[in-house]
Amino acid sequence: MSQVASAVQPQAEEPLLQVEDLVVEFDTYGGTVQAVRGVGFSVHSGKTLAIVGESGCGKSVMVQSIMRLIPMPPGRIMAGSAKLRGTEILGANIIDGKDIRGSEIGMIFQDPMTSLNPTMTIGDQIAEPLQVHRGYSYRQAFKRAIELLEMTRIPEAAKRARQYPFEFSGGMLQRAMIAMAISCKPAILIADEPSTALDVTIQAQILDLLKELQSETGMAIILITHDLGVVARMADEVAVMYAGKIVEHGTVDDVFYRSAHPYTVGLREAMPTNDPARQHKLEPIQGSPPDLFAPPAGCGYCPRCPHAMKVCEQSQPERFYLLGEHFSRCWLHHPMSPQKPESLYFKDAQQ
Amino acid sequence: MWGYIFKRLVQGIITVWFIATATFFAMHSVPGDPLLNDRAVTPQMRANLEAKYGLDKPVLTQYFVYLGNLSRGDFGISFTQENRQVNDIIRQHFPVSAILGVLAVVFAAAGGVLFGALTALYRNRLPDYIIMFLVILGISVPSFVLAALSQLALVNLNSLFATNILPVAGWGTIRHMLVPALVLGLGTMAYLTRLMRSSMLEIINSDYVRTARAKGVPPARIFARHQLRNAILPVVTVLGPAIAAITTGGFVVELVFAIPGLGRYFVEAVQQLDYTVIMGTTVFYGAFLVFMVIVVDVIYGFIDPKVRLE
Amino acid sequence: MIELTRNDFDPIKSKAETQGELRPSLSYWQDAWRRLKANKRALVSLYLVIFLLLFAIVGPWVWRVDPALQDLDQVGQAPGVDRRAVIIDEYAPWDGESAISGFSGLRLSAAATTQAVRLNWDVLEGANGHRVYRNLFPVGPELAFGIPIAEFFDNETLFFEDRLDVQPGTYFYSIVALDLQSKITSTYESITVSVTRVTTLAEAIENKLVPEGAFLQSGDEILLALHPLGTDYLGRDMLARLMAGAQVSLFIGIGAPFLFVLFGVTFGSIAGYIGGRADQIMMRFADFVVALPFLLFMILFKISFGIGPGESGVFPMLVALVILMWPATARLVRGQILQIREQGYIAASQLLGARPGYLILRHMLPNTMGVVLVTLTFAIPSAIFTEAFLSFIGMGVVPPTPSWGSMSNEGIKYMLISPHELIFPALLISITVLAFNLLGDGLRDALDSRMRNFE
Ligand SMILES: Nc1ncnc2c1ncn2[C@@H]1O[C@H](COP(=O)(O)OP(=O)(O)OP(=O)(O)O)[C@@H](O)[C@H]1O
Ligand code: SF4
Ligand SMILES: [Mg+2]
Repeated sequence: MSQVASAVQPQAEEPLLQVEDLVVEFDTYGGTVQAVRGVGFSVHSGKTLAIVGESGCGKSVMVQSIMRLIPMPPGRIMAGSAKLRGTEILGANIIDGKDIRGSEIGMIFQDPMTSLNPTMTIGDQIAEPLQVHRGYSYRQAFKRAIELLEMTRIPEAAKRARQYPFEFSGGMLQRAMIAMAISCKPAILIADEPSTALDVTIQAQILDLLKELQSETGMAIILITHDLGVVARMADEVAVMYAGKIVEHGTVDDVFYRSAHPYTVGLREAMPTNDPARQHKLEPIQGSPPDLFAPPAGCGYCPRCPHAMKVCEQSQPERFYLLGEHFSRCWLHHPMSPQKPESLYFKDAQQ
Repeated sequence: MWGYIFKRLVQGIITVWFIATATFFAMHSVPGDPLLNDRAVTPQMRANLEAKYGLDKPVLTQYFVYLGNLSRGDFGISFTQENRQVNDIIRQHFPVSAILGVLAVVFAAAGGVLFGALTALYRNRLPDYIIMFLVILGISVPSFVLAALSQLALVNLNSLFATNILPVAGWGTIRHMLVPALVLGLGTMAYLTRLMRSSMLEIINSDYVRTARAKGVPPARIFARHQLRNAILPVVTVLGPAIAAITTGGFVVELVFAIPGLGRYFVEAVQQLDYTVIMGTTVFYGAFLVFMVIVVDVIYGFIDPKVRLE
Repeated sequence: MIELTRNDFDPIKSKAETQGELRPSLSYWQDAWRRLKANKRALVSLYLVIFLLLFAIVGPWVWRVDPALQDLDQVGQAPGVDRRAVIIDEYAPWDGESAISGFSGLRLSAAATTQAVRLNWDVLEGANGHRVYRNLFPVGPELAFGIPIAEFFDNETLFFEDRLDVQPGTYFYSIVALDLQSKITSTYESITVSVTRVTTLAEAIENKLVPEGAFLQSGDEILLALHPLGTDYLGRDMLARLMAGAQVSLFIGIGAPFLFVLFGVTFGSIAGYIGGRADQIMMRFADFVVALPFLLFMILFKISFGIGPGESGVFPMLVALVILMWPATARLVRGQILQIREQGYIAASQLLGARPGYLILRHMLPNTMGVVLVTLTFAIPSAIFTEAFLSFIGMGVVPPTPSWGSMSNEGIKYMLISPHELIFPALLISITVLAFNLLGDGLRDALDSRMRNFE
């Protein structure tokens, strides 16, 4: 098989975080689940990378395994590397004897209701990373926690800091989570569906808050979401995940307007839009994702793909690079492929 | 918090009233006249009892007489021992049972929390297997068998070393208390270990512990500040019933180890159908347990902010 | 590298074949059962529970021995003891004449049998009479003679016949010289006697060991009745008693928890679902019942049923257990229901117009099942323990009614002589408790819906 020639674009700068070939498995009663099957991506300062994909495709496992947050056992990181400014952090999370979790990489979780310790005050929980990483005294840390709560627009922060999670609303809890995650001014903030559990107006506020904080601190954000609307609003780059693999990656414009993978097209079709130019009938993707107990030999999307070919069943598609960094893992981009469906973007296609 | 404690105390008093009432009517549904029992009741005693309890009056009147006595803290006089006050009996024998019980509860709670946390931290490894095996034994062997076996072991140990390492029976010094308290607390300890283990396991996989790890909090601090306190909550909630189980479970241990506690006295009273002693002891135990549950709940309130702040 | 050809890029026509590998979807219970089967410990426990139930229910049909029948030939017999017996003549009174001659000192005057041990002796030096002792152990340096069985205050009577509950085995007989004040002196003689088991033909026929009219002579050997697990201190068959005891213990131990868990679940789910004022009143009531000191009220109820100490009341015990033990389950289920009620899918279901009964049965109860099973796990052993405990202090099932508790209670008195009388019932209690605990653990793991997604 011939490697599709596609010159790797020279990097403008060294990426902040570079993940390569990450493989994560889980042992369960029924066998081994391959939740993440060799993913790679990079993150740059001040930029937002969005990761989208169906539920269960491995988004959370991917980012959590970088932070060593998946339960091990049953989880296992089989292979891969994750380099923070060039230093390997996978499996140890330690640079110069210091835990980078909480200091260099902050993380927010999907469900703020259960993600905070019910028997500890909000202020104490926000203060904790400062005590652990920055050597603040308890009082300094608590004072700073109040400032952070103010930064995340929580009214009466001084009073609120002394309250417990059950006294907060969902949106406020998520703000507190954000305050906690950014308390040590991390270089990267991972937000795993930060707004899914919240109602729409609060959702928008939280996303605005993240954007604001990003422009103030220049941190990179990895944003996991189901919502292509959120992607369009927040992200610079998008990685589309399917069955434990990144099937398409590129800038927002690349992925949205020059979608090069049938799954991305499917996602777009399944999503309502208010852009009159792009109005269409909503088309859910038929079928369900493959069973990751026995990962398919070929393309995971094959059973659901309208363009599936023989080769798709037999072997994994490579990364086919299109313009610049934009790639798609789909055999349709192989030079020998006779099909060029018009819903997809092709390298040499006319715009 | 003070309001909460006050509220609990008022509830407690109502509960004691319920216990007293249940006791009264349970005993008054005994077929036949308790005084016409074949037991020797001297005319003098009979007269005393009738005067005190208004036994010739209707049941309802008797009930109010009984409640009146109780509200003055008077548990009555013995049916079978002339002029013996139930209060005296309690004063004399209860401290023994209480010391034994407290010691057993301390064993059970400390052991339960410690072993439960250990097994959870070392789950599916050797310490977990060993402790859980012992726990299963502790849960499966009846307390009287345990008592008898430990007594047998003590006899053999003492004769093996030809000294009195620990006394086989009796009461008096701390050395008398150790083995009975351990035997008494063991079942509860096993139960609490299981509870603590599962609660700990749940918390180890909880979202907020994951958050703490994402913050880079070191494991020891996670254990102390995030896991332990939350994991202990369910253990504390069952501590009230556990104390109840231990205090009344003391009967057997008191019998086997010949300890002069209230439990042993109660069993004797039942065997002699000494109704007033039975009633008095029951209500007293009930009141004591209600009080202990309140104490446990107040402690719980201090750990769980949700309760404290309500 | 595989060379790709033009053919490889042909579209796939039929999608059905590629989609065929979907796993069959399983219902909640099917899934739980599959998981339980994978759990070895739970499965073994399940078999144990089934075995115990068969032991109690089918056992007495297979081993048809009356649990109350006393076999006086074999009392306090350990399992597996030699049960041969020799036929001898009817007992005839003895005048002290020795059948064996040529010996002096303390001696047997005939072969020692369970019918009688006949001793002769010569006057001990300086004796003014003799006392006869029997012991299970040698006399030893500390002069432990055992129990005195006879004394004679002159030197005329020099024989004694021991017919007091003589069992097969080895005894140590001693005679000790008495002084003028009839006190024992240090002069003694001792012999070791091994007693053989005998029976008369008439007895053998009466006990149905041999058929009527059987032709047997003195000296013939027969086999005594079989007791696979030995007999108790009254010569009753242990196996039959354990089976009868299993019926009582398991009836209380399983029946009561079933009833009170059922009641507790109903009570708790109604309280939790209704919520508000009614919930508070219902739970207050449960709190009252919880506050009753449990064991004291078990005893109190027994008395108030008119059952005195020394009488068994199995049914009252069942009722008392149900009355006193339901609130724990009710509380737990209510707590769960309250939690579940807050969850999104219940609200969703409510929006879709689901009725309360449907909500409770379809959504709430299945999600409390794990908790309920854990309660049941602890409830069965604790009911069995309660029975045993009450029986032990003489307030529960009382002899002659057998239950594992009352049997342990009796056995503990003979712990040193015949330990099997304690060991068997205690072992059965422990095995039952263990089996239910492990089974409950397995069920809990199998039913835990949080783990369901990950499989
Ligand atoms: N602790 C675990 N044990 C076993 N399997 C697990 C575990 N955690 C995750 N998985 C498996 O890994 C796969 C990916 O899960 P993951 O949570 O990453 O999905 P996701 O993309 O984040 O989905 P969602 O959008 O619903 O959050 C799932 O199919 C799940 O079966
Ligand atoms: S590789 Fe084949 S099956 Fe997979 S998306 Fe592309 S065309 Fe469809
Ligand atoms: Mg996720």
